[in-house]
Amino acid sequence: MRNIRRPIRFRTKDNMANRGTAQRPNGQTQGKICQFKLVLLGESAVGKSSLVLRFVKGQFHEYQESTIGAAFLTQTVCLDDTTVKFEIWDTAGQERYHSLAPMYYRGAQAAIVVYDITNQDTFVRATTWVKELQRQASPNIVIALAGNKADLANKRVVECDEAQAYADENGLLFMETSAKTAMNVNDIFLAIAKKLPKNEQAGNGGSSGQGRRLAEAEGQKATAGNCCK
Amino acid sequence: MCPTLLENEDRCLGGMTFFAQSHPIELCGSNGLPLTPNSITIYGRSQFLKTINHPNLSTYLDIIRSKHERTIVVAEYSGESLTNKKNLSLDSIVKIAYQSLLALQHMNDVGLVHRHLSPDNILITKEGNVQLYNYGLYYMTNGGKNVSFPIGYPKYTAPEVFLGTKVSGIKVDSWSLGIIIAECLLNQPIWPGVKLAQCLRKVLSLLHSETMIFERLARENNCYDTYQAVPQELRDLVDSCLQIYPSKRKTPAELLQLPPFAELLKKDAKEREENLYKNVIVRKMDELYYLWQLAGGDITMELKKQGMVRSRPPILSIPNLIILIGQMFGRRDTAGLLDLRVVKVPLDTLRQRLSHIPYTANYPRLTSQMHVQAQDDLTDAASQLPLIIRERDTEYQFYRIVLYDRLLQIYPITREAIIREAHKDIPPPVRGAVWAALLGIKGDIQKRYDMIDKETPTHTDRQIEVDIPRCHQYSELLSSGAGHERLQRLLKAWVRDNPYYVYWQGLDSLTAPFLYLNFNDEARAFACLSAFIPKYLHKFFLKDNSAVIQEYLSKFSQIIAFHDPQLANHLKSISFVPELFAIPWFLTMFSHVFPLHKILHLWDKLLLGDSSFPLLVGLAILKQLRDSLLTSDFNECILLFSDLPEVDIELCVKDSMAMYQKTPGSITYRRHQFDQSKAMHWTEPEPGTERMPRISIDDLLNLLENTPDQVIIVDIRNNIQFERGAVRGSINIPFTSVQLSQTDINTLGPHAQPLADNKDSIVVIIGPHDQNNALFADFLVSCGVMGVCSLQGGIYALRSKAARILVPTR
Repeated sequence: MRNIRRPIRFRTKDNMANRGTAQRPNGQTQGKICQFKLVLLGESAVGKSSLVLRFVKGQFHEYQESTIGAAFLTQTVCLDDTTVKFEIWDTAGQERYHSLAPMYYRGAQAAIVVYDITNQDTFVRATTWVKELQRQASPNIVIALAGNKADLANKRVVECDEAQAYADENGLLFMETSAKTAMNVNDIFLAIAKKLPKNEQAGNGGSSGQGRRLAEAEGQKATAGNCCK
Repeated sequence: MCPTLLENEDRCLGGMTFFAQSHPIELCGSNGLPLTPNSITIYGRSQFLKTINHPNLSTYLDIIRSKHERTIVVAEYSGESLTNKKNLSLDSIVKIAYQSLLALQHMNDVGLVHRHLSPDNILITKEGNVQLYNYGLYYMTNGGKNVSFPIGYPKYTAPEVFLGTKVSGIKVDSWSLGIIIAECLLNQPIWPGVKLAQCLRKVLSLLHSETMIFERLARENNCYDTYQAVPQELRDLVDSCLQIYPSKRKTPAELLQLPPFAELLKKDAKEREENLYKNVIVRKMDELYYLWQLAGGDITMELKKQGMVRSRPPILSIPNLIILIGQMFGRRDTAGLLDLRVVKVPLDTLRQRLSHIPYTANYPRLTSQMHVQAQDDLTDAASQLPLIIRERDTEYQFYRIVLYDRLLQIYPITREAIIREAHKDIPPPVRGAVWAALLGIKGDIQKRYDMIDKETPTHTDRQIEVDIPRCHQYSELLSSGAGHERLQRLLKAWVRDNPYYVYWQGLDSLTAPFLYLNFNDEARAFACLSAFIPKYLHKFFLKDNSAVIQEYLSKFSQIIAFHDPQLANHLKSISFVPELFAIPWFLTMFSHVFPLHKILHLWDKLLLGDSSFPLLVGLAILKQLRDSLLTSDFNECILLFSDLPEVDIELCVKDSMAMYQKTPGSITYRRHQFDQSKAMHWTEPEPGTERMPRISIDDLLNLLENTPDQVIIVDIRNNIQFERGAVRGSINIPFTSVQLSQTDINTLGPHAQPLADNKDSIVVIIGPHDQNNALFADFLVSCGVMGVCSLQGGIYALRSKAARILVPTR
């Protein structure tokens, strides 16, 4: 938001337009375009915004400013013959902003719950987010658990096995990621894209409908199909 | 005639430079973030030095970070160094010793040790007064930890410095001064021509000295005769300094009590008494430096001219060969060493620039009501120029600074005048003080701040800790260790001081501008923050602030619809609500959205308005994005805000001021606003239930009286009631006759034409039912009518408050 911090400026809109023309020509004729709403949750300063920034723009800022309220970005990935467009809601991490969270995860087809592998509390917080999503979000939501800051392995507190076991138990995708080194960042989004159902609902591409999805949302639940792994 | 400030040609700037030690690459701190570069640490620490103000200490003016960890230090440099003075009389030696000790004593009082005292760093002005120079090097480098060179010239360094690694105490300076005075008294350098390594050995050899050091030094240097001629009390002075054991050595303060200084002390006390009532205005050195820079002065350029800033290809700093025992061949990199040279820069450019300004300009006149007397044409003409240009105009800034100095000196009685002047602009050097004045800060703020517990751990600490290293870190000040510590103290103090409120992320950004402006005055930063939050963010930091924020945002929606119905209609059609983008705007008063230099200009004006002003700032930002917004769908709109395009802040400020003035106060009333006095007897509808704002009867009557041509009254009662009595000139559109679903103004008939044509009038809807008023207002906005609001209380309010303006229309 503070433009001065970003050495490379992207006009996001142009950026989007370019990407559209670059990737869509064959997409439109051959494959489907699916849009998915994805939300990032997790304790503050675990690297949610950094993961998104790495995924969407390929950038990394050591001093990524905190997110207040939420931020929104989009990114498209190609998966075989399908173009998957993620509409990413990056939320504020501070516990106090919790009351805003349902506004963002309501109607989301995917969520990445992020923790910091160097901080046990953030892992505990991640598990409560998972519980809340399982209870409150769309029943078929695809949840991924991301153990971020994997580059700080020498300061590791949360063991990979522990997190993997928890993820298996709860049917979550799990990867350790590093927004700094880009490790597993694209992979985790791709894994989600693979797991998401690409049936009829995916076709409702008109992006003007997204606002209502955010505001009203509940109707979306029913349309989400089964997982096709 | 040249203003007093520049009379003293002796006053020069001194520039020096050194490299901070660079960290090995790849090193991370405990939080996984890269280590703060040492040059930034030095930058942050050294800010404190700027606050030191003593006649015998040269003023620190600026610390500049440059490429490759280079630090450039700018300080006052008046006179010549003691090195160049020979054959000094006993009196002048005593005076030099005396004033040096006064300076050292003052430094000790504020917690500083010189540790670098040598004849090079003792400047003697034309009048023979002492100014110590470079006294902050040891402090700013954290006792030399941030640089790779040793601090202090061996000959003048106390022996214990070489023996231990402990932080130096204040007695090391007594030793250095002892050697310096000894040299003056003997009128020759001690150990001339001795190389560095030998010099160290010489100092350490003194450890075993059985005679007094001074005597021994005299013998070693073959001037025992001169030594014997030195009066006993001066010999005692030097001996008190040159004690091998620090425990036996006297501190600067103790040395001042010795007999040679008794007379000088008495004289000084007398002079101080006499000067108590003398009011001499001398422009402060930091102001001069600021103006000098505006006049084109650039210390880095001066250093470059002298060859002190040289860029060399890095490859050249690698030695050609290093053998296993560590011996190096080839050129050695000397860049990491301390360059003792100082570039002396006279203020000529500035003097020429201001030469035609009359002497009296130093004394701006205030009237007995503490108003500023009309200024001369120059400042008036200049005030029409863009702010950016005004801020770079030497003369204009000179006049403004002089004026503000005068006003601030006698604040708070000049508060009104300061507010008036702030409407024009605020010169950057006085901004911190002016903001405090605008916020009405007075009283013993230091004591209040000191009394708040900033240390006890609390459960918000973790959050504050992770937020600080992300808060405006592009700023050298705020990214320095000193900046982090101060921000943390301020935040903890605020949370502690406001038990009913909690720390919300964003409070850090909100505090940052105050810290940035008052880096050396935490108490004032805190006082400003504490005054700012109730004024603009009343209740925003409640643990449950949802009602407050919701109300504010729905007021924002109303304001958008009031000033820009077309945009409001578009945003409504794509369900684009302010909740999606405006929370960080208002919660942090835009401090999380803009970089500091923009926040400063924005808040300059924000501080002149009330808590509704930010709503119009928000609108002014939307106005700059308007074209993109109108052609964008939901996703594109939200993307626009996630990565906000460059906002022209001066235009934004201008637009918001203009719209602020066109918005009657009651339009922005909120239940949760701080100042409730205006909103007496006001029942605001539930937030979000009405799309358009209400206007109070008082505001309406005001408008009718002052600008009747800018009000269009729409009476939505039925014709019979309307004919019986209505406001003259109002338009009657009976509510029952309106097809609300047909959002086309033309369906209302020809007498509604003024509504369609409306450019900048306020359209006030008057009817008997609030609910219908609201529905009709919504309808008008949907038709694209500007400035729509409904009268609070409707026709009943008019009848009870101003029945006289209701006249039969037939």
